[in-house]
Amino acid sequence: MFDVIVIGKGLTGMLSAIWAKAAGNSVAVVHQGSGRIVQSTGLMDILPGTDGNIDELIQAYQLASLGKDVIQEAVSEFTRLLERLGYPYSGDIYSPVEVITGSGHLKWTGLYPGTVVPIPQEGSAVIISFSELGDFQASYVQGNLQSEREKLQIAAVNIPLGRRSARTMTQLDVARLIENSEFRNSLIQKIKKQMSARSLAKPNFFVFPAVLGVGNWRVVVKDLEDQLGSPVIEAVGMPPNATAIRLSEALEKELIRVGVRIYSDVLVNACEVVNNQIKEIRMISGKQQRTLAAANYLIATGGILGGGLEVTLQGLRENVLGLSINSDGQYLESFENLLTVGASQGKQVTRYGITGGIYSIISSFCAVKSLDSFKGALYAHPDPSPAQKLAHEVLESEPRRGD
Amino acid sequence: MLGIIDHAYDKCIKCTACVVSCPVANSTLDFGGPKHLGPELKRLIENREHIDDPSVELCTLCGNCNISCPEGVPVTTYLAQAKALHAEKSGTKLRDKLLSQPELIGKIASPLAPITNSVLNIKPIRKMLQKIIGIPAERLFPKYNYRSFNKKYKQKTAKTKHKVAYFTGCYATYNAPEVAEAFIEVMNYNNIEVAKPDQKCCGIPQLANGQKKQAIKNAYFNVASLLEYVSLGYAIVMTCSSCSLAFKREYPELKIAGAVELSQHVYDASEYLRMLAEQGEMNKQLAAIEANAGYFSPCHLKNQGIGNPALDVLELIPNYQIQDLAAGCCGQCGTFGFKEEKYALSLMIGAAMQYSVEELQPDYTVTECGMCKNQLVQLTKQPVKHPMQIMAEAYRSFHLQQSE
Repeated sequence: MFDVIVIGKGLTGMLSAIWAKAAGNSVAVVHQGSGRIVQSTGLMDILPGTDGNIDELIQAYQLASLGKDVIQEAVSEFTRLLERLGYPYSGDIYSPVEVITGSGHLKWTGLYPGTVVPIPQEGSAVIISFSELGDFQASYVQGNLQSEREKLQIAAVNIPLGRRSARTMTQLDVARLIENSEFRNSLIQKIKKQMSARSLAKPNFFVFPAVLGVGNWRVVVKDLEDQLGSPVIEAVGMPPNATAIRLSEALEKELIRVGVRIYSDVLVNACEVVNNQIKEIRMISGKQQRTLAAANYLIATGGILGGGLEVTLQGLRENVLGLSINSDGQYLESFENLLTVGASQGKQVTRYGITGGIYSIISSFCAVKSLDSFKGALYAHPDPSPAQKLAHEVLESEPRRGD
Repeated sequence: MLGIIDHAYDKCIKCTACVVSCPVANSTLDFGGPKHLGPELKRLIENREHIDDPSVELCTLCGNCNISCPEGVPVTTYLAQAKALHAEKSGTKLRDKLLSQPELIGKIASPLAPITNSVLNIKPIRKMLQKIIGIPAERLFPKYNYRSFNKKYKQKTAKTKHKVAYFTGCYATYNAPEVAEAFIEVMNYNNIEVAKPDQKCCGIPQLANGQKKQAIKNAYFNVASLLEYVSLGYAIVMTCSSCSLAFKREYPELKIAGAVELSQHVYDASEYLRMLAEQGEMNKQLAAIEANAGYFSPCHLKNQGIGNPALDVLELIPNYQIQDLAAGCCGQCGTFGFKEEKYALSLMIGAAMQYSVEELQPDYTVTECGMCKNQLVQLTKQPVKHPMQIMAEAYRSFHLQQSE
C-alpha cells in the first residue's frame, strides 16, 4: 500500500512522483513505456504552437482559480529542481521567446535548457550540419531562418562526421559520439577548416542540431565555445532530441535515487471503486494479472498522444482505469482520491494534442500540493553548504547562458 | 520457421523510444538497434524470406526496449527470433555453444572446482583460452563451488502451511550455493519448508546465443516439472532475476503449453517475502544492521514490472540504509561480456554503473543477478551481496541475540 501511485512516466508522471516523494509520501510509478518526453523537444512551451504568455494560458485553460502565486511557485520549484539535477532552465513565463527548430523556423517557448538560447534579430550566425544526419540540413535551415530573421547574416556549413552507422543515425547518436573529446576535436577542426576555406568570419553564434552531448553537455558546450570562439546553440528537431533525453534521464535518475518504486512494462487497465474511492488498480504484466493499492492515485498518461485516452469511432475512450468520460476526455464522476495531471485532464488543456511543458509543471505541482498527505514545503531550503556556496560563486562568475 | 504467428509488431509506431534506451545502441553504431532488428525486421520478413543481419549478435536481450516501448510491443521476442535465425544461417561458435550451457559447464567445473578456479586465474592459460576460443583473458569468472547446491540439498517436498518450490538456477547451484542457502535460511525463519524440484537451465543463455530450440526444450521440461508443484499448492520462487524473467515473460511468449498458468505462481525471492509481509505473515524479527548499501537493479528484474521488492524487504531491517544506484545496465549481460569481440563494449556499457558506485561510495553493493555481480566485481572495489544473504544475516543475528 503506497501513499501515492502515479500512472505514467512522462514529464508529468516523473515530476509528480518526485514532488510527491519529496513531500514525504511513499510513491510508486506504474508505466508502460518511457513516456512522450522521449519524443519531446525538452522545451517548456506555454501555449503550444502559439506565442501566448502565461496570461493567455490561464485564460485558454481556465486556470484563474489557481492563482498566479501558485503558478509562479510551481515554475520556481521546477527550475530549482533542474538546477539541482545539473540541467538548468532559463526563461520567463510572462514573456515567451523565439528559439530555433531543426527546420530553421522559430518557435515560441517559455523555459529552455542550458544548451538553447533565444535567436536574436540581427548579427551573424553559422549553421552546422552533418552529412550523415539526414534530419538537419544546414542550407535548408539557413533558408527558413533567413525568412524569419531578415537582418541576420547566416552561413551554412555541412561537414561529414566520418562515422558509419548500422541504423538510421539520430541526433542522440551524434550527441553520444561528441562526448568523446578526440571525436569532438576532429569535428571542430573540420568546421574551422571549412570556415577558413570559405573565408567565413567568426559569427555571433553557431547553431547545431540537438547533439551537444548528453550527461556531459557542459563539457561539450564549453569546449566547442572555447575552440570556436562563439556561443553554440542547439536547434531542437526530429526526436530523439538530446535536449529532451537529458531532461528525461535527469528526472529518471532522481526518481530512482529518492526511492520511488517503479513498476515497468505494466499495463493498467481497470480499477476497483468502493464508496467514491479508488480502492486498487488492476494491471497486466506479461501474462500476469496484478493489483496495486494506494491512498491516492495520480493519472499522468498524457491524454490522446500519451495513450491514456483513445480516439475511437464511438468517441473518446479512457484506457487506464476503465472509467466513464465525457467528450472532452474528463472523468464524469469525481473520486476523492483520484487526481489527473497534464493532458490526462482532457482536451480543454491541450492545443494540437499537446498540453505544453508549463502546464505539465503547474498541474503536477498542484496535484501534489492537493494531496491530503502534503506536508508543507516540497524541499527544505537550508543554508547552502560551503561547497554549494563555492559552486554557486564559480557558476556566477562565468558568463551565464541565456542572458 | 521458428516463427510465431502474431501481429504485435504492428503496434510499433517507430517512435525510437527503444533505441534511445538500448544500452548497446547507446554505446556503438555497429548495432542495428532494437527497432530495426525487432518489430521492423519482423514486419519486413513476415511470410517472406528471412533477412539476416549479423549485428543482431550484439543484442544482449536485456529487455530495456520492452520497458521503454509505449505500445507494449514484445521487442525482445522478435530479437530472440532474429538471433535464432541468424544462428541457423551462420552457425554458432563453439564458444557460444559452451557459454549458452551454464548447466553443463557447472556440472563439469564444479566437481573440479579447486582446479577450475585456480586454472582460470593463471594468466598464460587465460591468454591461451582467449586465443583458442575467444574468451578475453582479463574477464573475471565467477568461482565454481566444489560442493554444488545439488550435492547439498535434495529435499523434494515441503509440509508447512506455505510451501515453496525453489528453482535454484545455474548460478546459485554451481557458483553461489551460499545464495541458495541464504534463501532456504530466510524461508525457514518464516516457517516455510523449501522443496527443490527437478529442473534444467531456464534457457535465457540459450536464447541470447540463438539456441532457441534448446531453450524451448528446457522450458517444456521446467514447466512440466514446476506445474506439478503448483497443483500441490507450492509457490515457485527464484533467487536469480533472469530465471524468474524467463518463467514470467519468455516462456509465455514462446507459447509453451502451461507457461501462462505457471507464470501466475512465479516469484522473485524478495517479491515472495514482500507478499508474505503484505499478508501479515512475514517474520519481522530482524536485527539491526548498520550499513550503507547501494542497490543495483538488474535489467531482468526491472522487466518484471514488480517495483523494487529487494528494497521493500531490506528496508524492514532496522537502521539499514540502502539506495538504488540508478545505474542502468551492467554491461556483463550474461554471456555477452565473456566474448572477446564484445568485451570492450561490455566495459563501456558498464562504465555508468562503475561511476555511480564511485559517486555514492556504498559499503557494499546488492544485486539479485549473478552476472551483474560478475561485472560489479570486475569494475568496482566493493563486495557484492544478494538480498537474501542480507536478510539471512538479519534473521540470524536476531536469533543469536535472543538466545544470548
